Amino acid sequence: MLHKATQKLAQFMALLGGAVLCLLVLIVCVSISGRELSDLAYGGALGGVGEWLIARGIGPILGDFELVEAGVAFAIFAFLPLTQLSGAHAKVDVFTSGLGEGFNRALATFWSVVMALIIVLITWRLFIGMQDKIGYGETTYLIQFPIWWAYAASLGAAITASIVSLYCAAMRVTGQRHE
Amino acid sequence: MSDLALGYLSFPVLLLLIFLRAPIGLAMLLCGIGGLWLATDGTTVFMARLKSEVFSTFSSYNLSIIPMFLLMGQFATHSGMSRSLFKAAEAWLGHRKGGMAMAAVGACAGFGAICGSSLATAATMSKVALPELRKYGYSGGFSTATLAAGGTLGILIPPSVILVIYAILTEQNIAKLFVAAIIPGILAALGYMITIAIYVRIYPDQAGIKERISYPARIKAMGAVWPVLLVFGLVVGGIYNGWFTPTEGAAVGAMGTGLIAFFSGSLNWPVFRQSIFETATGTGMIFFIVLGAAFYNGFLALSQVPQELSAFVTEQEFSPWMVMVLILVFYLVLGCLMDSLSMILLTVPIFWPVISGLDYGMTTEELAIWFGILVLIVVEVGLITPPVGMNLFIINSMDKETPMTATYKAVLFFVGSDVVRVVILLMFPVITLVFI
Repeated sequence: MLHKATQKLAQFMALLGGAVLCLLVLIVCVSISGRELSDLAYGGALGGVGEWLIARGIGPILGDFELVEAGVAFAIFAFLPLTQLSGAHAKVDVFTSGLGEGFNRALATFWSVVMALIIVLITWRLFIGMQDKIGYGETTYLIQFPIWWAYAASLGAAITASIVSLYCAAMRVTGQRHE
Repeated sequence: MSDLALGYLSFPVLLLLIFLRAPIGLAMLLCGIGGLWLATDGTTVFMARLKSEVFSTFSSYNLSIIPMFLLMGQFATHSGMSRSLFKAAEAWLGHRKGGMAMAAVGACAGFGAICGSSLATAATMSKVALPELRKYGYSGGFSTATLAAGGTLGILIPPSVILVIYAILTEQNIAKLFVAAIIPGILAALGYMITIAIYVRIYPDQAGIKERISYPARIKAMGAVWPVLLVFGLVVGGIYNGWFTPTEGAAVGAMGTGLIAFFSGSLNWPVFRQSIFETATGTGMIFFIVLGAAFYNGFLALSQVPQELSAFVTEQEFSPWMVMVLILVFYLVLGCLMDSLSMILLTVPIFWPVISGLDYGMTTEELAIWFGILVLIVVEVGLITPPVGMNLFIINSMDKETPMTATYKAVLFFVGSDVVRVVILLMFPVITLVFI
């Protein structure tokens, strides 16, 4: 029951991050097309069509760069819960594989607890970082949206990552999860 | 304790944590935080860094290329292109002795051009090629070894996630690195084909022959692979010609393979969901390591270890070639234990200052590119080196009848081919640098 809910949460976050990533792909592609077409139009290569396009204000999307930065940070934080839940982190297990199941289980439990603590620490610091950005009133260069918005979105995702990693650690400590 | 001593001490501690099965990113992060804590006598510095550096690492424009390339690779996996590529290569080569295996290598190279990951290339191509190889009488060990080796082309032939990371670490131009990897990538494919030709002469009973196909049918099979060429040309050509930044190129690539997958009809909701999940776990894993490396390298830089080590090696007046060979051998050995990305993130900030301080008779940029390609190849050899090469496990698990030992035995031929290639590229840097 609890496992099902956690899994749903992690998958939902991954899909949300994936949706943002796909949206960024789209934004970038539209922006490139706009930029290349406007270059051609201003160069006169497109003739009347070019002039029509220029009149319509064709060009790259303003601040696409900033949207990518804000969006990709959210996406990555949103990907962490599923990474955590599926145990996808890279590790080296050749040295401990001969040391018995009990020992390896204890190690896995230990690292899942450390991992949870670190992710909670990161989440907390992200929150403090966001407060700083609110305090300074910092905005991005081109679109001028407050940087703390991007922090806030990432913070939301980081909180779910914390929940999921605490859950993983708790499951291991209570011996309900082994693999 | 001096900062320098702390820096040196952090190596054995980090290795111990990693060997005790700590997630590699976590181990680096802990050593980075611990090191900063001790070196600056308090929690202020690392707590302040955690406040902004995690976000700035995850929101890096340069690094945003990675999730986009992973997405591109995932869509490519479901685009049906792996089958078209294999059919096309098979049409030309299948009737030769060992030709089907050569076709599998050729198809891997083609797939590598739209996918930046070795495991994905090996796994995707195996789904298509493994049953065919077995059907036509290729032995289990030979088939799995061929595909495991072919998979490494995924990372060698651009686009390549590892090269992106290397470019960022050494502050080099991603486009130039991609272009520099093309000829070594083609050499790798040819080398594997030659290896197959030799192998089937030694073990003629391990390979079968397929009926010859008419030329019109061959041309027709070739016709089905144009989307691959189009996407590859657009992404790598576009980045190289400066039409767009590498990140934009990755977005174009993800869009391109996404469209191919969509029009091939295989991109339904469950497949799309699965693609996103794979992208998510891949991205999460990579960025956690990148984050750990950012903190660990931040601490190392503070401790002055890379500078000291570089100065030390220069003072000893070792032969530059000796140093290069030692480093490459080190990667070969470490590559048997650790995944390539962690290895690059962990070692390049230390080795690159050492190498760049030595005289190889080329500019720093050329040296960085040449070293990068060599490192890329040797870390990839680790993926197919027994007993722990990741590709071997992935492919072997897809063919239940073949014992691991059979794969081990056959793959040694391909490892040999890799070593020969590294020696050639080492002796003739011009092969790598011709387009730079």
